Amino acid sequence: MVEAFAVASGKGGTGKTTSTLALGMALATEYDVTVIDADTGMANLLFHAGLDDADVTLHDLLIEERDVQVEDAVYERFGMSVVPCGTSLASFEAADPARLRDVVAELAHDTDVLLLDSPAALGSKSAVLPIVLADRIVVVLQPTVPSLSDGLKVQEYAHSYGTDTAGVVFNRVRPDENVDRIAEQAGRYFGGQALASVPESDAVRAARRAGEPLLAHAPDDPAADAFREAAARLDVRDGDGRDVAERFKSAVVPDRV
Amino acid sequence: MRIPRGALLRSRVVDDPGDVLRTVLDEELTGYVVFEPQDALLLGEATRGVVTFEEGIPVLAYDTERDRGGRDGLEGFAVTGPNRVAVHAVDSEELSDAHETTEFRVPPGEPARVLAGDERLATETTDAAPEPRREEGRDQSAVEAFLADEDAIEAIRSEARDEARARAAEWGLDDVLED
Ligand SMILES: Nc1ncnc2c1ncn2[C@@H]1O[C@H](COP(=O)(O)OP(=O)(O)O)[C@@H](O)[C@H]1O
Ligand SMILES: [Mg+2]
Repeated sequence: MVEAFAVASGKGGTGKTTSTLALGMALATEYDVTVIDADTGMANLLFHAGLDDADVTLHDLLIEERDVQVEDAVYERFGMSVVPCGTSLASFEAADPARLRDVVAELAHDTDVLLLDSPAALGSKSAVLPIVLADRIVVVLQPTVPSLSDGLKVQEYAHSYGTDTAGVVFNRVRPDENVDRIAEQAGRYFGGQALASVPESDAVRAARRAGEPLLAHAPDDPAADAFREAAARLDVRDGDGRDVAERFKSAVVPDRV
Repeated sequence: MRIPRGALLRSRVVDDPGDVLRTVLDEELTGYVVFEPQDALLLGEATRGVVTFEEGIPVLAYDTERDRGGRDGLEGFAVTGPNRVAVHAVDSEELSDAHETTEFRVPPGEPARVLAGDERLATETTDAAPEPRREEGRDQSAVEAFLADEDAIEAIRSEARDEARARAAEWGLDDVLED
């Protein structure tokens, strides 16, 4: 295990799921990658990865009574290990978010890079756990005030839990927008690197409809190039040799000061 | 710009323009609000502006003294502090003609941002706006202005930090992580 990243944004629709799968596929050329849909309340990674009909999902691993093994929820797709989450509200309500840590720790044993597609909200324990568990976050932003403001908020939560920022992806950038200036300004507040500026692209939507990650559906699209660039810039760090389970246990929320 | 007179609902002095923007958002006002910054008045400067609303969401802004509309107009009567505000209701069909004046339109969150410096209210207003209007906030200069305001950004960050700590305790997250 090298590193666990939470792909976060604070707001829905910015492209977290799209980015999680795109970064995952790009990193998979070099690393053993596992992607987890940790957005357990509004799961949609399964639709992006053609796993709508997956029998066993993360939900089953989070519900104590369901007797399934972690590997039953792992699907080999597009060169990655993908752990989708179900969409049933009843399952979400029955799920024990605290079990996510053990699932993540177990998956971390057999992989290099873990990507956690994270919820848009910060209003519950299950929503913040992915950023608590991750080593670092990748913040997905749109070049708008609400998105930047939410991104700052997520980052602040992450930092409060000892999770650093690996970098920022600007997504859904329109041709008339000069994101370089914004990225430069944003760099003063966001940690890590400016990873890429991904254009608004019809290919992204088409990929979603086809149930395939962008890099599988339209590898030559400029948006795919941008995601590959982002992955190349991500300085995946070597774990510091500590036992993985130990590392997650040590991810303690600081006391109030 | 011609706005139908409508019915005066109330006229009063508020501490801050943000107060009335929040109220009309909550009550989903269709109509307009006339703003008269009181501090400008004290300086002997006639300053007055109008913002129109469709179901609580700002549509047009107009500086009646300088005869300017849109974001430019907003800046003409952006004086924080006490404002006399006159809230008027107008029938939505009667307003729709005025709302065709596209050069006076402002993104939904802009009055909160410019008149009240209230980024949170700006975001809430944008979130409450109908889908096509939410995109109007994508004005690069607004993004750059936001990022240039270090104090406002620090305020967002420190509030988020406090919230994160308080909630961690509330959710017993430390326990979850320690067992
Ligand atoms: N660069 C892009 N260009 C066009 N559409 C995009 C882009 N990124 C995401 N989308 C679309 O936006 C919607 C939300 O994306 P998604 O990845 O599901 O966001 P999130 O997980 O943050 O809610 C999807 O329909 C997706 O296809
Ligand atoms: Mg998603």
